[in-house]
Amino acid sequence: MQKKTAHSFPDEILEHVFSFIQSGKDRNAASVVCKSWYEIERWCRRKIFVGNCYAVSPTMVIRRFPDIRSIELKGKPHFADFNLVPDGWGGYVLPWISKMAGAYPWLEEIRLKRMVVTDESLELVAKSFANLQVLVLFSCEGFSTDGLAAIAASCKNLRELDLRDSEVDDLSGHWLNHFPDTYTSLVSLNISCLGSDDVSFSALERLVGRCPNLRRLLLNREVPLDKIANLLSRAPQLIEFGTGTYAAELRSDVYSNLAEAFCNCKELKSLSGFWDAVPAYLPVIYSVCSRLTSLNLSYAPIQNPDLTKLVSQCPSLQRMLVLDYIEDSGLEVLASSCKDLQELRVFPSDPFGEEPNVSLTEKGLVAVSSGCPKLQSVLYFCRQMSNAALVTIAQNCPNFTRFRLCLLDPKIADYRTLQPLDVGFGAIVEHCKDLRRLSLSGLLTDCVFEYIGMHAKKLEMLSVAFAGESDLALHHVLSGCESLRKLEIMNCPFGDKALLANAAKLETMRSLWMSSCSVRLGACKMLGQKMPRLNIEVMDEKGPPDSRAESDPVDKLYIYRSVAGPRFDMPPFVWTMDEDFASELS
Amino acid sequence: MELQLGLALPPPPLIPIETFDLNSYGNYETREALGSNASSWPLLKLGPAGNDINNIHHHNSSSSSSSSSGGGAGCKKRSFDEAPFFDEKRNVPKTLHLLLWTNQPNDEDDDPSNVLHENSSSAIFKNDGEGLVGWPPVKTWRKKVHHQIPNGGAENNRLPAVENGIGGRASKSTYVKVKMEGVPIARKIDLSVHHSFDGLTNTLMRMFGISDGNRKIFKLTYQDREGDWLLAEDVPWRTFIRSLKCLKLIRSRG
Repeated sequence: MQKKTAHSFPDEILEHVFSFIQSGKDRNAASVVCKSWYEIERWCRRKIFVGNCYAVSPTMVIRRFPDIRSIELKGKPHFADFNLVPDGWGGYVLPWISKMAGAYPWLEEIRLKRMVVTDESLELVAKSFANLQVLVLFSCEGFSTDGLAAIAASCKNLRELDLRDSEVDDLSGHWLNHFPDTYTSLVSLNISCLGSDDVSFSALERLVGRCPNLRRLLLNREVPLDKIANLLSRAPQLIEFGTGTYAAELRSDVYSNLAEAFCNCKELKSLSGFWDAVPAYLPVIYSVCSRLTSLNLSYAPIQNPDLTKLVSQCPSLQRMLVLDYIEDSGLEVLASSCKDLQELRVFPSDPFGEEPNVSLTEKGLVAVSSGCPKLQSVLYFCRQMSNAALVTIAQNCPNFTRFRLCLLDPKIADYRTLQPLDVGFGAIVEHCKDLRRLSLSGLLTDCVFEYIGMHAKKLEMLSVAFAGESDLALHHVLSGCESLRKLEIMNCPFGDKALLANAAKLETMRSLWMSSCSVRLGACKMLGQKMPRLNIEVMDEKGPPDSRAESDPVDKLYIYRSVAGPRFDMPPFVWTMDEDFASELS
Repeated sequence: MELQLGLALPPPPLIPIETFDLNSYGNYETREALGSNASSWPLLKLGPAGNDINNIHHHNSSSSSSSSSGGGAGCKKRSFDEAPFFDEKRNVPKTLHLLLWTNQPNDEDDDPSNVLHENSSSAIFKNDGEGLVGWPPVKTWRKKVHHQIPNGGAENNRLPAVENGIGGRASKSTYVKVKMEGVPIARKIDLSVHHSFDGLTNTLMRMFGISDGNRKIFKLTYQDREGDWLLAEDVPWRTFIRSLKCLKLIRSRG
């Protein structure tokens, strides 16, 4: 009683209170209140997210949080998705797994994104974490079905195995056989990325049949259509299902089996897959369409009128991914029939074609924005845009949290006025106060960056390409966007001055990527010298920095804050501009 | 405060902190490149507060070029008629001026602005036009799938698998896996860019780092749709392409 109130609770009580705080952000905030909260919080933290595997060392994490059960790690920069990060850059998970193997024997969840995962890492995971329940490898690479076999054989409590968008080397399709016959705990399985030899169908069938809690099953492209009915009938409890190839010669027995199987899945809410889909088999899913909240047709080459007809059957959709075959007319139908739509992604069917192959313009997006009041997330690839359309969209959808517009021709102007699209994007940031993520494209001057710096106060991630005219553009963003965590820029005519003028801002961000911009070696060196807690990585195959002039342009630059110092696994084409390096040269 | 005072000391070029205006010095490419097109832009009334945002101008500037990619600088550059916009005394968002440009030890041999000029004209848009790296931003994985969609490919770039229609490989991907005896990790190559055994073999030899002297040791085998392994050069190229599922380089024995 002699202490102040906050300290009067016994540690156990505080620990119990903290256990109700789920979000990492809130836990972080609590941990800096005072020393005792810091201590209590670190002992009872079970879940950790590391947005950049080089920002901190595994040893430091383990020292502070001795009892982690769930870890999420990210590796390569986002632009790796677009082939901008050279092969062999890094993002290896093995050092993390090795350290955690000794420290966290009770680890239950491992979620990795854009990391290099070797079979050795997976074998170590299998050996070290007997209680592993969740393994998510999102856009990872470097491992084969042998590593998966090790996981299958050892992780008896595995609930979720998700290989979304990963590159897996297929050494044997029999890895699924390694799940023991007694294994029944699977809840979620995503093998959509696997190739032809990676899946033994009979093993898959048996596995699905013996896991009564399976709720999510996303198959790979090689699973033929006539096998789906059989799988579905073994798992009528599925909530989320991804088909394999959705093409076959039309046969009445296959058709009726499929229709019946889908009809029996009373819980289905989400469908995806549909590789190579042919229209003939689409009606078999009509019976579940009215319940669907999520539909991913982004690999389905279905065109109109079949596509539009399908969409019109799905009034409950909240999330829709589709190719631009849907065209403006299909989006108008979507707008009038799906009033709950929250997320729309429209991908290009022919991203490299010179001429439009479909009639998809800004009109489709305008229609959806006016018809779907709950829309908050958009990714839209198209070939023409106008400021007027963007302004309308912004006014219709003030709730946007993510807005990514990709005009395939990177520097295209408003097609009606031939002006830059500054005003349009300006309207987006001005009206959508909760915008967290924004991707710009089209002809853009420094003005748009002024708008962004001025209005986008909650923006956390910004992607820029072929935009702006001077350092002022970057300066506006760095100085104005208070919440900015990730900034990625390609092919823009600015760099040095804005970076140096906002050096301290970079320390508040997770990372900055700049490629083919106007950044010079001298500026990178200076940044490295002045900001010891930033890792400044220069990627260039032209030769080491000490052999080059300060005024040499830097091809690729990746800056991130780190409390671990420069990393030790740099390939020969990456150099860090750390303090020692800079002083050696000056 | 201390920092700011300190930074105010260096000699010009100097950026006053109150009006951080990068355009106020330096010989920008934009200024020069504008040239005669500069006046063709209708003056945008873009106040710093963005209050004119809803006021869309529908001018059709006849003198502006309509092609925007790889085109002249005129189209992508904004007129410096608008320059006063930047020069206004206005509230620049507060920033952490830990470092200012002027903090740089003056490079004796070059005026920063000149270098910037060179960079911006030579290096920045070097990828302009065809073959942009990283653009459009479609995931690599998704791109592969897209290649295979009928009607999706550009006319002049017909891919073997598409060409062969239903008779094509089981997986219509133009990427196939290549394994090499003794190398644990398989690779993938894009078949659509190869048109002969010679070209394909050259690529594979480079990929696995086999020197010219050693290439005779290796034989290219492939797995057809039935799952049988065959010697590649025993069949015509077209048959090979049509039935190919997977490639393997093996050491010839004896």
